Amino acid sequence: MAAATGTYEIKSEHGEVINTSTGLSNKKLLMWSFLGSDVMFFGSFIATYLVYRNRSLVGPYPADILDIPITSVSTFVLLMSSLAMVLALSYIQQGRQKMGTFWIFSVVVLGAIFLLFQVYEFNHFGQVGLTPRTNLFGTTFFILTGLHGAHVTLGVLWLIFLGFGSIKGSLRADNAIDLEIAGLYWHFVDIVWIVIFTVIYLISARDVGPPG
Amino acid sequence: MSNFWNKLLYHDGRGWWDLPRTQWQDPNPQMEGPFGHGIAPIKRTWEIITAADYHHGTPWFYVLIGAILSIITIVEVWAFTWETLGGLLIPLMLVLSLAKFILVVGFFMHLKFDRKYYAWIFTACMMIGIGIFVALLLLLEYGNQTRQ
Amino acid sequence: MQTTHPGPSREPISLSFPRIIPRPKSEYGIWSWISTVDHKRIGTLYAVTSFFWFLVGGIEALLMRVQLSQADSTLIDPEMFNQLFTMHGTTMVFLVVMPLSAAFFNWLVPLQIGARDVAFPRLNALSFWIFLFGSLFLNFSWLIGDAPNGGWFGYAPNSHVAFNPTNGMNFWVIGLNILGVASIAAGLNFIVTILNMRAPGMSLTKMPVFTWMTFVTSVLIVLALPVLTVALIQLQVDRLYGTHFYNTAAGGDPVLWQHVFWLFGHPEVYILILPAMGIVSEILPVFSRKPLFGYSFLVFAGVAIGFMGWFVWSHHMFTVGLGPAANSAFAISTMAIAIPTGIKIFNWIGTMWGGSIRFSSAMLFAISFIAMFTIGGLSGVMHAAVPSDAQQQDTYFVVAHFHYVLFGGAIMAIFGGIYFWWPKATGYMLSEKLGVINWLIMLIGFNLQFAPQHWLGLDGMPRRIFTYAENMGWENTNMIASAGGFLMAFSVLLFMINVVYSARKRVPAGDDPWDGRTLEWSISSPPPHYNFEKIPNVEHRDDFWFTKHPELIAEYYHDEHSGELTAPSGAQFDEDAAEEEDEHADAHAEEHHGDDEHGHGGIHLPDMSYYPIILAAGLTIVGAGLMTAIPVIIIGTIVLLWGLLGWSFEPVNDPVPDSH
Repeated sequence: MAAATGTYEIKSEHGEVINTSTGLSNKKLLMWSFLGSDVMFFGSFIATYLVYRNRSLVGPYPADILDIPITSVSTFVLLMSSLAMVLALSYIQQGRQKMGTFWIFSVVVLGAIFLLFQVYEFNHFGQVGLTPRTNLFGTTFFILTGLHGAHVTLGVLWLIFLGFGSIKGSLRADNAIDLEIAGLYWHFVDIVWIVIFTVIYLISARDVGPPG
Repeated sequence: MSNFWNKLLYHDGRGWWDLPRTQWQDPNPQMEGPFGHGIAPIKRTWEIITAADYHHGTPWFYVLIGAILSIITIVEVWAFTWETLGGLLIPLMLVLSLAKFILVVGFFMHLKFDRKYYAWIFTACMMIGIGIFVALLLLLEYGNQTRQ
Repeated sequence: MQTTHPGPSREPISLSFPRIIPRPKSEYGIWSWISTVDHKRIGTLYAVTSFFWFLVGGIEALLMRVQLSQADSTLIDPEMFNQLFTMHGTTMVFLVVMPLSAAFFNWLVPLQIGARDVAFPRLNALSFWIFLFGSLFLNFSWLIGDAPNGGWFGYAPNSHVAFNPTNGMNFWVIGLNILGVASIAAGLNFIVTILNMRAPGMSLTKMPVFTWMTFVTSVLIVLALPVLTVALIQLQVDRLYGTHFYNTAAGGDPVLWQHVFWLFGHPEVYILILPAMGIVSEILPVFSRKPLFGYSFLVFAGVAIGFMGWFVWSHHMFTVGLGPAANSAFAISTMAIAIPTGIKIFNWIGTMWGGSIRFSSAMLFAISFIAMFTIGGLSGVMHAAVPSDAQQQDTYFVVAHFHYVLFGGAIMAIFGGIYFWWPKATGYMLSEKLGVINWLIMLIGFNLQFAPQHWLGLDGMPRRIFTYAENMGWENTNMIASAGGFLMAFSVLLFMINVVYSARKRVPAGDDPWDGRTLEWSISSPPPHYNFEKIPNVEHRDDFWFTKHPELIAEYYHDEHSGELTAPSGAQFDEDAAEEEDEHADAHAEEHHGDDEHGHGGIHLPDMSYYPIILAAGLTIVGAGLMTAIPVIIIGTIVLLWGLLGWSFEPVNDPVPDSH
């Protein structure tokens, strides 16, 4: 982008060319603005979930079906993937290519494990009789967690791409910004899960049918 | 009196309890505050962990944050099994998840270390989002609706 | 997603992706337009496409006007009428006013901030192609005779499959979601462009007002469109997969859709009008030969509108029965938002006050914008009063109101903008004579059509009815309105005649036909591919004007210490903007490094690329697949991945042998 704009150049601490009016990287600014946009996206879905909380007319209700221990494990896995992500970025920025690659693929593996947990959970719920068509809880639960899962899948694909880039040497300290914005996306998906875990699982796991 | 509070809570305009700023913003403030130099060794340790790199933490610092996040998660799940919490469950869970949220956004996403611009963008979006969605929930919950 | 920068010290990248299509090189012909990443060409594409949809939406409106011109008319059946008003609203909002504004964003923002392109040129091209395919997808529904028929607001559960089983609303839901992606991508692009690509010295408070309004609009787009996306996804899964978001039989809430839709819908209203306000704020000072009155207030009012616009949405729902507390709160917030709007109107009038005004056609459009928008704004404040709104809800009064702000406001300003910037974009003038006639007929036709609708509405004529009985006493008024509609259509025809006539006549415009103020007038018309040979150094607000009239600097900048513009007519620098600038001061402190060695020479522009259109096609095929069959989704996904991967591996600039 530097040459394309022809303005002036500032080198950031990691050698990336920052030649912008604010001194901020274009890509990072784009990613943060996009995350702000995604806040509204997930915010709407979570608000919908909360509006419909306790309003399902037929079962199964959350109390019949949600399994806190299993989800706690998958939550933990996703948290640890965030940690791996930040370590990967740290090593790539320091130029420690091998450690960086290792941690990128750790994120990929942990993210995949999280997705497997989700597939298992969806499958299990389907067997016990909760589908998106069963009741309002099913609808809001599956669409919200499903779209979160779609975000995770996209992140996993992106990181596989970057991981191979790191092996081949096209992702290095001087363009670690590419990993950094992928990392921002990944952490954002993680904090969305923090909210979902609290709202859907911890807060409403004891919900039964509508009062009265 | 106001001097006393300033002395207790602030120096250089921010609280002693605030995490140390990194070189990116300001040099770290002098050791002042209510505990004087007594807190210095702890603070220095913290600085070694946080401010070793130019504007990022060290790997061990991130591991520490990860450990704190795990502990909070364990506390959440443990508190969930606590039947006696009753009405306190929801506020407690919200506070704990808020803590996790801030830790991830602040340290893993580097908002604490990075240029303030990014923090403004994200905070502004969060504020608008929280504002309108809370208003929406209140409207649907307490609106004097004609339907059931 | 790009993994490669062209940097000075980079080795060749060992990772590569097979190029099925070679990278486009030619700068002429149809393929150069398809693969373009030049913001000016993309702006032109936006303008041409959305003008086409403007004609389509106008024909839809005329059909409705013909139907309504007589009582008990049977020309159009009710189902067709539903489709017409739904598609008229959807087209005018999403396919005309938004993309026409986007055409102005694309053309002007890089020129006004002194940049050679937007921050992400290929993303910019992607936005356009997604918009084009999304709009075609939406209108494809006409061809299968199944256009959307649930209103541009698509109220669920009325739009639910139980009550609306045809395919029309599926087209609407998926089409709008595709368009939403385009809008969000464009919004993100312009946020980054405006924050990051300004010429040296152009601080936020020296930016032209149009650029400021673009920024506010982009922020609103980025935050509001996801909410619509969510509502649409919910309706889509309800309609296609039988979930229960809006299924009242399963306990779904019939009011939820209204809330979520208007949470998006009200910021959307400002997305439509703020660019128009920006255009007018550029035209008025030029033709009044005076700096903008109260620049800081104008900018701050725009930001305030953008913020307050989030907290007024329930005024669309006063008759739902939200209860007195909610209704009062939203009535107050709605009335409060009239304050920043009023500030803007007084500032525009203040700009003209005492100026030596030239009544060119652009200026006439801008002045009539102020008048018409004020009328529409005043009837808007009438809606803010809950009891009054209960009377006006769902009547032609509301139709009159929003056409006064959207046609009398947004479209008038956009036409003014076209007359104003046409010479810059093409290099020749539009005929002023025809322009004035165009303006006059449009203004008369517009008022003839919509002013009587106030009376119709107060007389109780409901919106969206396909006909009315003879004894209602509405025929004459409706006949006048229909005649006005055809007069408006004629004025649009005159505009097209003007375009053709002027293109034949080609009166050269020169670089600066209007004695302009902002940077776009400092370069040749049409601008060269690279915009600025040397990136300008900005010292003042309206920098180009002060370069031309250095003797005026002292007059307007009498306070040299603060360096702030104090307009002679009493416009004061406003505190809030000062704070805002302080906040950014640390950013600007680091700003000016090394501008000299990169100011000129070695201009690199991003190379053209086919991947944006491939990616957009993939996305649209996936959208179509959601309505048809899974194999289509798979094909779409393959195309999407092809575009995505090809894009990621394609450097912005292909390495070239060092020739200069």
